[in-house]
Amino acid sequence: MRRVLTVLGTVIVLAMAGCEATPSPLASSDGPRLSVEGPWVRTTTGARDATMTAAFLTIVNPGDADVRLVGADCADAAMVQVHEMVMADDKMVMQEAKDGLFVPAGSHLHLTPGGPHIMLMQLRTGFAVGDQVALTLRFSDGSTLAVTAPVKEFVEEEDHYHSPSPTPSPSS
Amino acid sequence: MTGVSEPTPEPAPGNGADGPPRLQRRRLLGYAGVASAGAVVGGVAGAGIARASTPVPVAPQPAVIRQDYSPHETHQAGITTPVPAVTRLLAFTLTELAVEPLTKLLKLWSGDIQALMAGRPIPGDPTPDLARTGVSLTITVGLGPRVFSLAPLRSKRPDGFVEIPAMAHDRLQERWCGGDLVVIVAADDATTVDYAARRLARDAATFARPGWVQDGSWRGTDASGEPVTGRNLFGQLDGSGNPSGDLLAQTVWAADPQPWFAGGTTLVVRRIQMDLDFWDRTTAERQEKVIGRRLDTGAPLTGTVETDALDLAAVGESGAPVIPLDAHARRSHPDENSARRMLRRGLNYTSTEVVDGRPVTTAGLVFLAFCADLAEQFVPVQQRLDANDALNDWTTAIGSAVFALPGGFAKDDWIARALFD
Ligand code: HEM
Ligand SMILES: [Cu+2]
Repeated sequence: MRRVLTVLGTVIVLAMAGCEATPSPLASSDGPRLSVEGPWVRTTTGARDATMTAAFLTIVNPGDADVRLVGADCADAAMVQVHEMVMADDKMVMQEAKDGLFVPAGSHLHLTPGGPHIMLMQLRTGFAVGDQVALTLRFSDGSTLAVTAPVKEFVEEEDHYHSPSPTPSPSS
Repeated sequence: MTGVSEPTPEPAPGNGADGPPRLQRRRLLGYAGVASAGAVVGGVAGAGIARASTPVPVAPQPAVIRQDYSPHETHQAGITTPVPAVTRLLAFTLTELAVEPLTKLLKLWSGDIQALMAGRPIPGDPTPDLARTGVSLTITVGLGPRVFSLAPLRSKRPDGFVEIPAMAHDRLQERWCGGDLVVIVAADDATTVDYAARRLARDAATFARPGWVQDGSWRGTDASGEPVTGRNLFGQLDGSGNPSGDLLAQTVWAADPQPWFAGGTTLVVRRIQMDLDFWDRTTAERQEKVIGRRLDTGAPLTGTVETDALDLAAVGESGAPVIPLDAHARRSHPDENSARRMLRRGLNYTSTEVVDGRPVTTAGLVFLAFCADLAEQFVPVQQRLDANDALNDWTTAIGSAVFALPGGFAKDDWIARALFD
């Protein structure tokens, strides 16, 4: 459905510009590239469990093909997972997004506190406000994106991130 | 630097070589800045005539309000860009005077500034819906003198970046003085300023203690939103004599700076209390003589319109100078100061504090002057005014601070990075 709308959108734009409808070729590998906006990592200073934290950012996919964020690497963390929030026993809990996170074509995905995020676990170092964390995002199309994320104060309630187990069972 | 929130008029045919009218206009303003409203209006009228021959009607474009500015220009925004309605200056003192916390803070702020000025929430923003485009938001960062006392930065102090020497008329209060860092947040509305200032202050909290905060207002537009010279709380047009064009650039931007300070300028912030009650009791004739300009039009007492040059040699029938010898605009005029100039950017303040259980209101001007070299430009002029200026009977400096303002920063960079190379 989304794909159809995108195509329609393209046609409408072409018609408005007064051009003859010569549809441009869709999805090509050298098309517009994925980008990241507003990356940040929650500080571990003052956290109840300073061995883990999360990275948040917005992934912008200007291309014609859906992609999935399938993983990430961070030299400061021994374990990195892509997490999503799910409802379990009337509570939102996080769990690993086994199929990755979907970034629709021509759209974007927000990774936010209380929403999907990149979980950094078994940290090798604490993250103080103002530190810069290097991350590499991996996508389903095989591409990678290097990101430098500043460490910022955590301003929302921390509950979602307290679980000592990276993938809590629905009963926890 | 393009307006995002408003429709851009279609470029008129045949206008291509000069770019769209809007851009032409913006370029003009970039130089004319806050000052020569006359020149700006003239230029716009000119553009209007040029466009009249084309078939496409062009709606008037606001030049002061509803703007979008970029932090990625040669110079920081908020210096020669028009003065919007609301400005807040926030000073900070580094908790630990060291390079590492300073660079961390500057990196955080750079990310914040890039996002906020683009109308986007900052990373991790708890109130993201307050971010918006088209509100003329500028965020300008400056470094105080103590920063250049850090061992690796001692040789990096910009030329002429000095503390302002004490003046006989000063009644400085510590609480309005100094600062290791300043952030100047300006926008069309106070809500946007509140929001951006709070976000920046929160990110600073790990590294710096908040110092003074100074709020100021300005009315730099007429009823239709066209740029005009604004008035201070004495009711005077303030900013008429500011330089424009090449002269403005020479006045403000550091000449031959160290590489890290390319596109930079130095700023003095003076909090100047104004005795409004005493002013109200002063006759209009006396008020005009104190400055040497008319109150209604801002024209020099020797001229007819605001943009007329002061005729400092003119004498009246009695043989006395028309612009008195102690008139503020004479005493501060470049012709009497070896061509020393500055870019003044005034902000009106009114502040109510509770003293002994009763509210006491004071008012004045948050006086900002930007100079390529403070020691060479501002200091001698200020000393001359301190020695003799009719205005001194009504005004008293109660705060003083100086800051070095580096140039803008590239998209993938952070502000003042080259200072730490
Ligand atoms: C509350 C304090 C002050 C008030 C109310 C005030 C007001 C004015 C007014 C009404 C003018 C004439 C219009 C104009 O050209 O803008 C003026 C001009 C000027 N003032 Fe002030 N001023 C104040 C403080 C200062 C200070 C502290 C300085 C510098 C040390 C200064 C420097 C100048 C200069 C350079 C001019 C322009 C002279 C010219 O080129 O014609 N003023 N001021
Ligand atoms: Cu998680």
